[in-house]
Amino acid sequence: MFEKGRVCMKLAGRDAGQICIVIKKVDSTFVMIDGQTRRRKCNIKHLEPLDKTFDVNDDATHDEIKEIFKKMNIELKDKKSKNTKPRQKKQHKQKEKPVKKEATPKKKTEANKKPKATVKKDSASKPVISKPKSEVTSDTKSTVDKKD
Amino acid sequence: MVSGRYKSRSMRRVAITTPNGTNKIAYRPKKPKQAHCGQCGAKLSGVPRARKSEITNMPKTAKRPERPFGGVLCTKCMRLEIKKKANNLKL
Repeated sequence: MFEKGRVCMKLAGRDAGQICIVIKKVDSTFVMIDGQTRRRKCNIKHLEPLDKTFDVNDDATHDEIKEIFKKMNIELKDKKSKNTKPRQKKQHKQKEKPVKKEATPKKKTEANKKPKATVKKDSASKPVISKPKSEVTSDTKSTVDKKD
Repeated sequence: MVSGRYKSRSMRRVAITTPNGTNKIAYRPKKPKQAHCGQCGAKLSGVPRARKSEITNMPKTAKRPERPFGGVLCTKCMRLEIKKKANNLKL
């Protein structure tokens, strides 16, 4: 009944109601099927034989069975292969940080340098500490204010 | 004394043992009827017996078997339907 090339309809499982062809007989209870169903081993009890048979090679490929189904005016839809390209992940736009201007090191000029306190050495009297100009001016100002 | 709202039988009663060790009666909402075959009336396997709000939160594959007429007909009736279809088919 379920010889090679027999067109059948599957009765059980998620492929139930779909048409297939027997490719190979595995043993007394199992056969290999292909067609609208997945290419798989199947119990004879789960198949309903139809009244058509075709010549099928021992190891018929899926493409060969596609052509047989074309003769019956049935087109097989290929499922998407799992070897698809990896999905592109969305890349979030990164906010551009404002570029900080590199602080140029200030050159030490002679004008910027603070005048150092110098000690004048007089020959006889005590050593007189001369204050830097900035300090002198502040002192003088204070004295001027007091006078007013 | 049972509170008034639990006196009616709209809630089912479940015997539970508390962590303390005492036995108590808990009141839970009733479960709906098991799904049945549309043709022969046999109980359907693979269809959950839960409230509608619980079923809506389940994934689609957990709600019914993944075969033609899954969740509507039992396997016997489904096979008969497909055999009828196969006999009438003209290739």
